[in-house]
Amino acid sequence: MKQSQTALILRIMSLMLCVTQIQAKDAEDPEHDYLGSRWDPIHFKPAIDQASDEQCLKCHQEIIKRTTQSESPAGIKSEESIAWYQTNQNYSGPQETFHRRHLVTPEARRFMQFKCITCHQGHDPKDEVSGSSETAQSGLILRKSVDPDICLMCHGSFDYKVMSGLSGDWPEVAAKFENDCVTCHKEYRTVRHKLNFLNEYEIENLQADESDLCYGCHGGRAWYAIPYPYVRRPWLQRMPGALPEWAKNRPTNYDARFTK
Amino acid sequence: MKTPLDKSKIKAAVKRRKQQVYTPVDPVQQLGFIHHNVDCIGCRACEIACKDKNGLAPGPRFRRVSYIEGGDFPDVYAYKVNMSCNHCAQPACLPTCPTGAIFKRQQDGIVDIDSSLCIGCRRCEAACPYGAPQFDPSDNLVKKCNMCVDEIDAGRKPYCVMACMMRVLDIGPIDQLDSASFDTTAIGPNDKPVKQVKNMADPKLTNPSIRFIAHSKGNVDNDNS
Repeated sequence: MKQSQTALILRIMSLMLCVTQIQAKDAEDPEHDYLGSRWDPIHFKPAIDQASDEQCLKCHQEIIKRTTQSESPAGIKSEESIAWYQTNQNYSGPQETFHRRHLVTPEARRFMQFKCITCHQGHDPKDEVSGSSETAQSGLILRKSVDPDICLMCHGSFDYKVMSGLSGDWPEVAAKFENDCVTCHKEYRTVRHKLNFLNEYEIENLQADESDLCYGCHGGRAWYAIPYPYVRRPWLQRMPGALPEWAKNRPTNYDARFTK
Repeated sequence: MKTPLDKSKIKAAVKRRKQQVYTPVDPVQQLGFIHHNVDCIGCRACEIACKDKNGLAPGPRFRRVSYIEGGDFPDVYAYKVNMSCNHCAQPACLPTCPTGAIFKRQQDGIVDIDSSLCIGCRRCEAACPYGAPQFDPSDNLVKKCNMCVDEIDAGRKPYCVMACMMRVLDIGPIDQLDSASFDTTAIGPNDKPVKQVKNMADPKLTNPSIRFIAHSKGNVDNDNS
């Protein structure tokens, strides 16, 4: 009984110490305490559209610093594990956290040019969850700070249903086309990867080395059950007349946020 | 005697099976949640029951009641959207897991995560369109709602459902929830369950096993239920 009372007093004392420390820290820089920072103009439009990675990482550096554990509590070694989509040949390197994989790993630096603001568009502190207030910034989805449509651009499923001549998912039909996407795509969809978060040159080069590596992103790393409705530019020479049903209502240009 | 594992063989097999296609588990029966957005008073008893059951510290919230408020006087409105893991028919989290910690049960479609196999890469957290996987900074692992599988196996309902004082949250077979034929207090006599409400990610992404009775201001045009 006495022991538990002493423990309780000790805990209260340490809590009080913590509170004093937090207060002291706040007092040092009242502009940038946690609650104050949430209202920093950089989290709102228009400033968020111009925010640099350095500005974001000044406070959010833990997303780069934090790495995966070397092994799970049950002893699964992270260097020996591999996810479904990591069986693609163009996946390399050890297990890394999601953010590092998109920003700082050698593979990310080679093929991608993601900035924080490619996916994140700030947050409205008035929203307890994103999109819950009517004045909330558009493009945010209930309970998620990133619109999954952005993920869908690279993590959608393989859209074989709209590709004439394909009877199934790529692994089923690849042999028929000698594992070469460019057999057809030297004529179709010739404007590729001209987006500001991709290294267009490196991606096209990679494809030249191994011709079906396109599948790595276009279906091979599918998170979602649906494909991304890529923009459709008219193929007037090849397909005069009406657009096919699936291409109706598709935009002909990407959101200015993503174009170079 | 147990034969030692030849890891080079496994690696060769992985190489051979490049570009694996993941086929989602097709459960015998898919359980799903139903939530009445209008009658929910937002007391958050479900959240607390969930945290209690799962022993969660402040921070990770397996179940979240979202307060949606808007409008101009006098035409103002408020409703609640209550989500945890939606135990999707085609979960996005499952194929992203490098250690196989995430799995979907054959008998009832519950998507569970074995946190003892988790290395904290947080891919599942990013892939989920509904924010279900929760990162626990106290042990750097990801955890999430498992619909209280132990309770389900014991023939009872999850803690959140049992704690709901308004009886607006329930679970049931998803096909019966869709047709509103499931006997539950979460669906009123003239209510029509919908798959999506305003500001929620497209249900076609993963086919989440959740239905809502939407508020008139929370209805979305492209609902395909």
